[in-house]
Amino acid sequence: MLRILHDTNFDFIKWWRTAAGLTAAFILLGLASFAFRGGVNRSIEFTGGTLMQLKFTKAVDAGRIRSTLDRAGVRGAEIQQFGADNEFTVRAQNSEDVASQAAGAETVAQRVEAALTKEFGANSYTVGRTEAVGPRVGEELSRNAAIAMLLASLVTLVYLAIRFEWRFGVAAVLSTAHDVLVTLAFIKLLHVEVSLTVVAAILTLLGYSGNDTIIIFDRVRENLKKDRKSPLYDVLNRSINETLPRSVLTHATTLAATLALLFFAGEVLRPFAIVMAFGIFVATFSSIYVASPLLLWIEHKWPRTSSDKASGKATVRASRTEIPPGERSPRPRQPEKAGTR
Amino acid sequence: MSNLKYRVLLIVALVAASLWSLFPRKVVERVKRGDTYVFDTVTRVPLKRGLDLQGGMHLALEIDESKGTVADKSEALDRAIKVVRTRIDEFGVAEPVVQKSGTDQIIVELPGIDDPERAMGVVQKSAFLEFQITDKTSALEKALPRFDAILKEAGAAVGVAAAGDTAKKGEKGLQELFTPGKDSAAKASNDSTKKDSLALTPGGAFSKLIQQGQFPGEYFVAEKDVPTLQRYLDLPAIKAAIPPGKVLRWGSETQSLGATQYRPIYLLDSRPIITGEYLVGAKPNQVPLEGTVVEFTLNNEGGRRFRAETAKHIRDYMAIVLDQRVMGRPPVIQGAIGTRGQITMGQGRSLQEAQDLALVLRAGALPVPLKVAEVRNIGASLGQDSIRNGIRALIIAVALVVLIMVVYYRFSGVLSVIALGLYVMYTAAMLAYFNAVLTLPGLAGFVLSVGIAVDANVLIFERIREELARGKTVRTSIDEGFRHALTAIIDTSVTTILTAAVLYQYGTGPVQGFAVTLIAGITASLFTAIFVVRTFYLLWLSRSRGAQTLSI
Repeated sequence: MLRILHDTNFDFIKWWRTAAGLTAAFILLGLASFAFRGGVNRSIEFTGGTLMQLKFTKAVDAGRIRSTLDRAGVRGAEIQQFGADNEFTVRAQNSEDVASQAAGAETVAQRVEAALTKEFGANSYTVGRTEAVGPRVGEELSRNAAIAMLLASLVTLVYLAIRFEWRFGVAAVLSTAHDVLVTLAFIKLLHVEVSLTVVAAILTLLGYSGNDTIIIFDRVRENLKKDRKSPLYDVLNRSINETLPRSVLTHATTLAATLALLFFAGEVLRPFAIVMAFGIFVATFSSIYVASPLLLWIEHKWPRTSSDKASGKATVRASRTEIPPGERSPRPRQPEKAGTR
Repeated sequence: MSNLKYRVLLIVALVAASLWSLFPRKVVERVKRGDTYVFDTVTRVPLKRGLDLQGGMHLALEIDESKGTVADKSEALDRAIKVVRTRIDEFGVAEPVVQKSGTDQIIVELPGIDDPERAMGVVQKSAFLEFQITDKTSALEKALPRFDAILKEAGAAVGVAAAGDTAKKGEKGLQELFTPGKDSAAKASNDSTKKDSLALTPGGAFSKLIQQGQFPGEYFVAEKDVPTLQRYLDLPAIKAAIPPGKVLRWGSETQSLGATQYRPIYLLDSRPIITGEYLVGAKPNQVPLEGTVVEFTLNNEGGRRFRAETAKHIRDYMAIVLDQRVMGRPPVIQGAIGTRGQITMGQGRSLQEAQDLALVLRAGALPVPLKVAEVRNIGASLGQDSIRNGIRALIIAVALVVLIMVVYYRFSGVLSVIALGLYVMYTAAMLAYFNAVLTLPGLAGFVLSVGIAVDANVLIFERIREELARGKTVRTSIDEGFRHALTAIIDTSVTTILTAAVLYQYGTGPVQGFAVTLIAGITASLFTAIFVVRTFYLLWLSRSRGAQTLSI
C-alpha cells in the first residue's frame, strides 16, 4: 500500500499566527492595489468595447499594429500577443468608441480591419473572433455578475450555516470569504483579465473551498463525539492530520485536471485555469490554517452553554478545563462498529 | 445477492441508455470541404456545440429609440422577433436561435456564419417599403428662400463652395446618362433640363448646395456637400419649414459625372400610394439595362389599389422608398400597374445584395428599428482549435487522474478509474439527452469535474484504509468507508450544484454551458463514485468470499 502523509502528527494550528500574517499581508497588498491602481482588469464583456483576435500569416510586431491602429483613429487600443508570435488580440475599450458604436457608427472592428488590410495586405491575416459589446449590455452583465457572486456566496454560506452548528458555520463561512478575498487579490496583483468565465472560476472555488472545510469539520465533529477529553486544539490538529492524505490526494487530482487546462486548453481558457489553480491552493491552505484556528477562536470566545448541548449537536471545549458533569451523561450516538448491514 | 443483480442491471441499463443517446446520427451542419465551409449531412455524435466551438455569430439587438420613442416596447419586440425569425430562416442557417431576452432585447444566434456584416445587415434592415409620387408642384423651389433665410438667421457657416461650375460642366453628361430612353421620360427630362440647368436660386446657403434634377421633385447634391445638407436638414427649424404633406428622401446611390459624384434627393408626397404590407413575393434578377433588380409581386388587394393609384398618376414619377431611401431612380408611370413591379438597385450591385433585399422584403418590415447592442463572432477555425485543445486537455486530465489513482490505490484505484470512464460517458450522455450546449467553458467544466469526480472516491478509499488499519474486516471496512464518507460527499455536491445553478441563472451562453456541464458532471459523479464503485466492491466480495486483504 502506497501511503503519503499517513499517520502524521503535525501541529498545524501552532502556525496559525504566521499563516494569518501571510494571508492578511497578501489581502492587504491586493486591497492597496485596488485603492491606488483602480479596479480589476475587466474584460470587454463588462466594460463594453471591441475585442478582436487576429492571426497573421507571419510573425508581426505588436508595435506596428499599434501604430497602424493609432493612425486609423482607434486610439488607446490594447494589443497583446496571444499565444504564438503571429496571434494578437486587439482590445478597444475606449469609452468614446463604445459610445459611437452604440450610436450605430461604423464599427470599430470594421475600422480595425480596414486599417490592417491597408497596412499588411488583404490576405495577411484572419480574424478569429470579434466581440463587440455595447455599454448598456456591459453594465447589465457587470450587474448580473455581481448579483451572481453575492447570491452564490449567500447560498453557500446559508448552506454551511444550516449544515453545521453555528460555531462551525461561522468559521466555515469566514474561511470561505477569506478564500474569495485572497483570490481577488491574486487576480488584481497578477492583472488577470476578469471575464465571465473567470467569475465562474471564482464561484466554483467558492463551492470547492467550502467543501474542504466541510470535510475537516466533519472529522472534527466525529472526533469530538468519540473523544470527550482532549481539548479542541488537539482534536482539530488530529482531524487535520487524519484528513491530510485525502486533502493531498484530492487536490492532486483536481490540480492535475486544472494544470491540464492551463497548459493544453489554449489561450482562451488560461485565465480561468490560472485562477482555478491558485484557488485550489488557497482552499487547501484556508481549510487548515484559517477555518480551524477560527473555530478555535470562536469556541474560546463563546464557550458552550447547556442550551447548546440540548440541541443534540456536537459539543466541544475550547480549553483544557474540567469537563462539566452534564456532558458526561450518555447521549445517543451513532453506532461506531455497526458496519455490517 | 438479488440486490447485487439489480445494481449491476441498473448500471448496465444506464450504459445502454448512454450509448443510445450518444450514438452517432445524421445531422445537417457546416463542414469544411477543402477551404470552404458548406452545409452537408454528416453522421456524428449528437452533442450540440456552442457558438464558441463551432464558430458563428451571436447578436443582441435592442430597440433603437434615437429616432423616436416606442410606446409598447414589449409588444413591438414580439413582432420584431417574428420578422427577424422569418428573415433568419430564409437566410439559411442550420440551427438559428432567435429569442427574447429580458423585456427589451432580442438574442440572435447564427451558427456557422462567416460574413457577419451581411448577417447583421439582413437582421437589422427595417425593410419598410413605400411607393411615393414625386412632387410636381415645385414646392421645394418655393420653400428654398425660406430655408436660406432660416440658415442665415441661424448664422450657419456657408463655407461650402457652390458646385455651379462642375454642375454646368456635367450637365451634358447628366443628360446623356440619365435619359431613361422611354419617350415620355425623355421628354420630361428634356423639359426639366431645359427649364433650368443652373443652381436654383443663387446665393442662399441652402440653395447653393442643391440643383434641379431631370424631372419634377428630383434634385442633385454634390457628394461632398451631402453631410452639410444633411446637417441643415436636421435643424428643427428647417424640418418645420418643409412644405406640408411632403418629405425629402435621399437616393440610394450616387451618379458620377466626370470627377464629381452627385447624390439625388427627392421631394415626395408624404402619403405613400401603397406600402410593402401587400407584398407577397420578391426575387432578385439581373436585367441588361437596369442592372440588378428585385422583382416583386403584390397580393390581389394590393394589386387593385396599386392599379387604381397608378392610374391616377400616369406620367408622374414614382419613387420606391425602402427604409426612407429612394431605391434606384424613380420610374415614370406609363400606365396602370397591377400586381407586379421591380425595384432597381443599379449597375454594379451584386446579385447577393438583391437576394438579401428580396429576402427582407418577403419577411416583412420591422415594426421598430433595431440596433446591435452586442456582437460576438467566432471563426469556424478558431472553434475547431478550441475543440481540439479542449479534448486534448480532457484526455491529459483523465490520464493524469488515472495515473494518480491507479498508482496510489492499486486495485481500488482501477475500480474508480472504470467508474470514471462510466462517469465521462454518463455525463456526455446527459448533455446529449437534455440537448445541452457544449461550450468552451463547458469543456473546462468537464475537465475540472473529472478531477472533482474522483474526490468522492478518494474520500471513501481513505476512510476504508482507516477502518482497515483499525483491524476491521474487509467487508466491514468497505461498508464503514462508504457510510462515513457519504455526508461529506453530499455536502460537496450540494454546494457546487447550488453555485452552478446561480451561474446558470445569471450567466451568458458560454458560462451557462459551464454551469450545465458542472451540474451534469456532479450528478453523474455522485452515482458513479458511490453506487458504481460500491457495486464493483460487492461484485469483488461475492467472487472472492472471505478475502482477507484489499488492495487499496
